[in-house]
This record gives sequence, structure tokens and C-alpha cells, in this order.
Amino acid sequence: MSEAAIDINAIERELRQMWQEQENPPDAGGQAVIRALTLNLIARMPDDHWADLAMTVAPALTAHHPNRTVIVIDRPGQTTELQASVQALCTLTSGGRAQVCGEQVTISARGASAGQLTSLILPLLVPDLPVVLWAPGAQPLAQPLVQRLYRLCDRLIVDSATFADPVRELTELATFEQATNGAPAVSDLGWTRLTPWRELTAQFFDTRPFLPHLHRIDEIVIEYAAADRPNPVAALLFAGWLASCLKWTPLEEAVGIEGETIQLYLRRPAVGVGPAAIRLVSVEIRPVAHSAGEGLVRLILRAVDNQRAEFVVELTGEAGHACTRATIAGAAPIERTATIERATLADLLSSELRLLSRDRTFAAALHVAAGLARRFPV
Amino acid sequence: MATSAFNNPLRAGLRIGRTPEPCTMVIFGSSGDLTSRKLVPALYNLARERRLPGGFSVVGFARRDWTDEYFRDLLREAVNVNSRSGPVDPELWASFAHGIQYHRGSFDDAEAYTSLAERLAKIDTERGTGGNRVFYLATPPDAYPTIVAQLGAHGLAHSRGWTRIIIEKPFGHDLASAQALNAEVLSVFDEDQVFRIDHYLGKETVQNILIFRFANGIFEPIWNRNQIDHVQITVAETIGVEDRGGYYDSSGALRDMIQNHLMQLLCLVAMEPPSVYDADAVRDEKVKVLRAIRPLSVSDTVRGQYGPGSANGLPVRGYREEKGVSPTSQTETYVALKLFIDNWRWAGVPFYLRSGKRLPRRVSEIAIQFKSAPTMIFADTPLNDLDPNVLAIKIQPDEGISLKFSSKTPGQPQIRPVTMDFRYGASFGVTSPEAYERLLLDCMLGDGTLFTRRDEVEASWALLTPILQAWAEGPPQPFPNYEAGSWGPAAADEFIARDGRYWRRL
Repeated sequence: MSEAAIDINAIERELRQMWQEQENPPDAGGQAVIRALTLNLIARMPDDHWADLAMTVAPALTAHHPNRTVIVIDRPGQTTELQASVQALCTLTSGGRAQVCGEQVTISARGASAGQLTSLILPLLVPDLPVVLWAPGAQPLAQPLVQRLYRLCDRLIVDSATFADPVRELTELATFEQATNGAPAVSDLGWTRLTPWRELTAQFFDTRPFLPHLHRIDEIVIEYAAADRPNPVAALLFAGWLASCLKWTPLEEAVGIEGETIQLYLRRPAVGVGPAAIRLVSVEIRPVAHSAGEGLVRLILRAVDNQRAEFVVELTGEAGHACTRATIAGAAPIERTATIERATLADLLSSELRLLSRDRTFAAALHVAAGLARRFPV
Repeated sequence: MATSAFNNPLRAGLRIGRTPEPCTMVIFGSSGDLTSRKLVPALYNLARERRLPGGFSVVGFARRDWTDEYFRDLLREAVNVNSRSGPVDPELWASFAHGIQYHRGSFDDAEAYTSLAERLAKIDTERGTGGNRVFYLATPPDAYPTIVAQLGAHGLAHSRGWTRIIIEKPFGHDLASAQALNAEVLSVFDEDQVFRIDHYLGKETVQNILIFRFANGIFEPIWNRNQIDHVQITVAETIGVEDRGGYYDSSGALRDMIQNHLMQLLCLVAMEPPSVYDADAVRDEKVKVLRAIRPLSVSDTVRGQYGPGSANGLPVRGYREEKGVSPTSQTETYVALKLFIDNWRWAGVPFYLRSGKRLPRRVSEIAIQFKSAPTMIFADTPLNDLDPNVLAIKIQPDEGISLKFSSKTPGQPQIRPVTMDFRYGASFGVTSPEAYERLLLDCMLGDGTLFTRRDEVEASWALLTPILQAWAEGPPQPFPNYEAGSWGPAAADEFIARDGRYWRRL
């Protein structure tokens, strides 16, 4: 890794140089290193801690999404400092030889204006490839650099688990998503972490005899792990997802809060006929102490009226595993253990990078969740 | 199928596909190699990736006197050794193994099927499998008719859920036997319950042939007789007959490889675009290709049998010295053949197919060779020095696609062929799932696209059976005629050289 003053041409030159050094001699048996770029990733990092994370994530991404990563460490400061460096990121074959390589440019800035940074970033993007902006941390939408860049991007990735004022920022994200209408597409890694939970929940109802129970759910309990400051956004998004899929609509008085427990009330569409067919669904969201540290811990979907049915997904004592259990009308529960691996930051990003357009399921869940969040007492 | 009638609203936008309904898979011949090497590792990996529902159960049906416990331990060991994800995750295995049972019985014992029916009914209530069943015939082919008849006689061919049957290759050994087997199977099951497996179709790269052809706009206009000179399909194995000598000696390369795997590859390369991607539309188009193939005569084929030689630097026996093989065997271990597809797209374009055992490299590929540039304007390079453009679809190993084209040598007035390479592993950086994972899941979901339909099997046999007959009636061949570790008999090189072409050096 070599240091250089900020000169775009110098960075480009260095990138070219780097590739020439990587090339193997063109003998018949040797395989050349493949420079395979599938996208530009701009990682806007708020501080050094995040910058370190980005440096570990970018190489891990190369395996699935070889890319040009531009890491921008955007720190506040009185005087302006700017530094840039260039690096190749390679996946190695079992023999330890570089096989597929992407590129990483790091711009370390202090006290730089958004305009200055943008003028450095834009010429560094590889043409004709999608541009993804990853902006973790608190208040991503309020960052001048994000405000300046998002229109040029195909996707903006934030992480609601890192929001400082989670419920308010959730509503802001929803407003932004609606206003931009898919340009850029919006991703939230907090939502990505719900994927295995959504899969396991949905799988109950791939079983034909269980499907009717899905339309008569009366109670939901969502427990999430919380340490000092509970962040209920993931649980709200999960509730929003169920509500949007099942066409539940919030009641007038939809939200009740007791301590850290959030109680939501929605109306579910008629299953049968007659006025009694429209029924209430209650959703209880509560933080619990759990070794997982963050994310969902237990999920209960329950139909109580008439025939009792209960569907539970919960983490087991063994890290990375969950137990799913379906109990219908007092019959013996049908149980199994499934993997529910703790995804790394690189896994989460990778999964979002696979999407090419607006994630409509997420958008629908986000808008319902934000609609509920807006009714929270201030 | 009935599966389209119900719709899970939570499925929309989920990033993995639908999971099948809970079901019980009954594996006949579960003490065999296929079960421990492929089937159970595939099922375990599906469970590991959350692709199987809770309640999914396995019943092993075989003759040996084993207990459930012993069977589970055996399978656990098999998964440890054979799974692409490495040794089992103990907690996950415990939950998976909970659904595994062993059912002792011989295939012709009516009593064993009565008790199987009872056992399945019990699993249906205890594990919520609702009568959904897959019967997997992982037995020697001569047991198929017995098992099918017994299943029918004991009312196991239909249930209150769905019932499907998976039949391994070989499906018959000629047209008459394939028709007879089809008749027997279809007297008990309906065609949409029958899943004839050809594991080549489960390979990601094979499925990618259709994606490559029909999801890209630029290839279809050149995919015809106007641009293509010829097509070569090669499936080469380095192994000999291993411990299958007895079976192989009554079969041979034409039956074992060409009739199923190579004909499938041919169909995928040559078929017209289906109107939709569903089981019947795709298979309709494949059958049309098979039916458009001009009848073959013996002069369109070359056969070979390997003699002693070497593999990986070690001396190896000749075919006739292999265990279970007759010392005067006339069975072919190598086949090359040329065929024409008489339709508007392919008229006049030869397709060369070759497959053999004890060849120097294990490689499967399809090479599309395009016509050369019509005139040569670069004076220093004579036209016949130019390599034609070749699009190679590599199925294994090094899965990928490469395109060879001519390029100027830097600084010199010379033209050299270069290749543009797309490698699966490099571009996606993930290990592809095993073929059996995809196929087992598809069967449980009721999707027969990647399975062989009755008319496909019969059309393929109809084409090749006359060759088998002519070979059997013809004079004995001077076997062995190629050395183990070489690229087949010299006659095969002469065969293609007569057309002014040559086999690709692989």
C-alpha cells in the first residue's frame, strides 16, 4: 500500500501500475489474475472505528462482488486534511495465488467540505457500473456528503441498528424512500438481518394445512435483544412486514407504550362473513436481555380464537441456531432446529448488493413501520 | 400441479425460493452407495440452508437388519465424509436425524409394504407430513418393476397429499425395455408423478446453457447454420469401470453416457426457445430436437475399448482385465458419433459427440465452432493459419464459458488466438450446490423441468437402439484399440478428419 498526495491522475496511474505488477508472465500454464469489477462502492465512514471496519469488509466483499471501493473517512475538523491511498483486493486460490481482484481507494479526510470530497470521488468511479453508497452510523441522511451524492447512486445502504434516535430516524428513512421513489434504491442492513427470521416464519405457511392459520393470527410477540439503549426498529420492521403482507391496517389508537414495551393494534381483514369477521391483531414488542446482544430473540404468532394455533421461532442456547415450533389445537408440537447464523457486515452488504432494483417488500414494510412509529407519543 | 392453488402471502420478496411442503422421502436401496454418498448429504445441506420444512422425514428401505440408531449413525458418518459443507453441525444434525427412520424389508416382500404404509401414516400424524411422499428408487434397475408394482398393490401410489417417484438411470437398456418400464411405471403412477433423474441436468453450468442462450440477446442471432460450422460435445472420464465392471460390461458407453447425459446436453444447445420456462414447454422443445435428428447408421459412429495403459502416472489394467468384465468383451468404453439435426436452424451442421473412460482428463464441455472469416485481408497471415472463433461452455471442471478470437500480437504483424474467459467460481465466488440438492428440491416442489419425460427417454432410445443392434450383429471389433490414458482410438481422429475437422485438444 502506497501513499500519495491527492491527485486523481496519480491515483489512476497507481491503479494501472498495480495491475501491471499483478499480471503473471504470459506463459501457457499460468493463469492471469482477473480484474473483475462489478460495481463501485462508496463507503462513507463517520470515524476511524468505522474506517477500520470498512477496511476489513471490503476484501471480504471481493469474493462475491469484486468492486472498486472508495472508502471516505469523513471526519470533522477545523483545518482541512486530505490523504489518499490505493490497494488491490484479491481473493486467493487454495495455493495462495491471487485470483480475482478488486480495487480499494481510501480517502482519509478531516474537515473537508462535501464539495471537495465529491470532486475527488466522482472521477474515481469506474464508468458504466452501478454505484452504491454505504453510509452507516447515526443520521446518515443528514450528512452533507450523502445529500450531495445520493442522486448519483443506484443504491443507498444505511443501517438502522446504528441509528442514534432509532424511531425518529426510521420515519425519516421512510420519508426519504418515498420521496426518492427508487432512485436511489434504499437498503437497511437492519432489515437484511431479519432475512432468516422472515424465511423461517414464511416456511411455516408453505405447509398447506397451516396456511389458513396465517389469516387468523390474533397476537404477535416480538422480543429483541437490548443492552443499555433499546433499538426497536428491527422489531418494528418485522411487524411492518407481517402487516404489509397480510394487509393489516393500524387502528386509530394504534400505539401504546409501557416502559420499554411497545403495544401495537392493527385490524386484520375479514376471513369469513359478517361484522364479527373483522378482527383485531395485537403486536407486543419488548426488549430482553440476551447474549446475542442485538437482533430478534423470539417471535410468537398466535391464533387464539376458536382453534388455537401457535408458531414460535426462537434462538436456542447454541449460538447460530434457532428452534421453530408449530403447535396446532393441542396436538404435539412440530419442532426442528435450523441455522440462523449471525451474519457478518460483509454478508449483509453482499446480500444487498445482489439486489438490482428497489426492494419493494422492504419498502412496504418500512412504510407500515414508519406509519406506526409516527404515532409514538413524543 | 396442485401446488399453484395455494399462495403463501409471506413468500413475496423473500430472497430464497419456496420451501416444499413437509413430506417423507422413502429411499429404496438405502444401504447403498448413492444414499450415503449423494442423497443424504444433499438433504442435509438443504436442511442446513433452511430449504426444507420442519417435519421433513426420511425412511430408508433396505434388506439389512439395521436399527434406526445404527442407520442414523451410518448416515451421520456419511455426511461427515461426503458433505460439501464439511462435518455435521451437531445440533442441526440432531434435529435432522430425528426425522430419519429405517424400514427393513426385501423389495418383493408384500408384508414389508403393508408395514411401510402403516409407518408412513404414523409419520403423517406425528410429523405433520400430511400424506406427502417421495419414493426414491436408488436400487439396481432390475428391482424397479417389483417396487413399483408393490407400491401400487399396497395403495401407496396415491395419498391424501401428493406422491412422487424418482427413478435413477439407467432407464431401460434399449427402446423396447424403456417402453416396457415406462408402461409398468405408468400403470401405477401418472406421468406427472414420475421424476426420471439425470443428474447432469442438476448441474449449475448445464442449467446455465439455457440462461446463456435465452437471457442474452446477442447470441441467438448467430446460433444457427449461417454462423456455426459445427458443434463438439465431449464428456471425458479418467476413471475406468471401478467396481461397476459387471454392470458396465452389459451396458457400455453408448448406453451409460450418450443416451442420457450427452443427448441432454445436445438438446439444451440445439433446442428452440420455449414459450415459457416450465416443465412441459421446455421438454416439448427437447423432444422436438430428438425427433429431428437424422437416423444414425454405424458409419456415423466409432467405438473403442481401452487396453492397459496409465492414469495419473500409474500403470492401469485394460478393460478386459477389470473385475466383472469378460476377457473377450466387445463392450465399448469409448464412443464418437456424428449426427445432424434436420430442421431449419441446424440443417447441415454436424454435431460431434464423444465420451469415453480412461481418457487423459476429466472434462465435460460443449464447443460451438463458428465459421471462419470469409476472406483474409491481412497479407502476412494465410487464412488457413487462423483459428476460428470457438465458444466453449465448460461444464466440469473449471465451470465457465470462454470465447476464442483473434488478436494482433503487440509490435508484430501477427495474429494470435486469445480467449475471453468467464469462470463461474471467479465471478460468483461461491461453491455451487450439488446437482442432487437442486433435483431433490425440485421434485419435492413438483417441478419436473430438470427431469426426463417419458417421450424424451423413448425418443433418445429410438435413435440409438438401431446402432446397438447393428453393433451386436456386426463383426467383432479388434478391441482393445486405445491405450488407457490416451484420447481414444485412432479411428476417432480419422473419423472427424474425413470431414476436414479435428477434435478439440482439451
